[in-house]
Amino acid sequence: MSKNVLDEMQLQRRNRFGNQSFMLMFYLLMADIGLYGFGFRWLKYPLNVFTIMLICMTYYLVRVILGNAYVGPQSREKHKIRMVLYPAAIAVLAAAAVVLISQKGFVMAQTQGDSDKGAMILFTVSVVFFTIALIVGVIAKRQNIEDEE
Amino acid sequence: MGKNLKLKSSRAAKDMSQKDLADTVGVTRQTINAIEKGDYNPSINLCIAICKALGKTLDQLFWEDDENE
Repeated sequence: MSKNVLDEMQLQRRNRFGNQSFMLMFYLLMADIGLYGFGFRWLKYPLNVFTIMLICMTYYLVRVILGNAYVGPQSREKHKIRMVLYPAAIAVLAAAAVVLISQKGFVMAQTQGDSDKGAMILFTVSVVFFTIALIVGVIAKRQNIEDEE
Repeated sequence: MGKNLKLKSSRAAKDMSQKDLADTVGVTRQTINAIEKGDYNPSINLCIAICKALGKTLDQLFWEDDENE
């Protein structure tokens, strides 16, 4: 079995949580469109979609970690820290690159409203995900010890 | 689905922990735990791998007769 392959129960759970997250995102976006149609704007355009995506991804991440379907059986011990730190580091680097490029004037694109906050949103999302992953990971580890044998 | 006590007792008879059995068949310890508690219905391939690891037959580990259901 390859290092990062999940076992059959983990795959089944991941698929279930993925379907739930997808349906959650679908209904939230539909509700958002409905509210928009009635003239109710709870957030400006890019932020409302980002927020809904963030909610759904957070739900997926929390369910996957609590359902013990985040890492496969072989990679469990060795790569736990790497699997959290690498995505966080990449997100921070990407956010820093976007900020640097926009400040140095390499890109002269005109933006409207809050749509030039991409780097800030990316950075915030990565920090929020990192914090959630850390908290849920600690809780899952504690539960894991409790249900031993 | 009830608890699989036959699997648990066979594992204990071999002096294996859930982790040992899980490592042998290539799944997580939580999967073995879920099978023993009756929370997860394993595939036939996993059942066979568990039977081979414990030296038992499918009947001996996974067949539920009316009395033991």
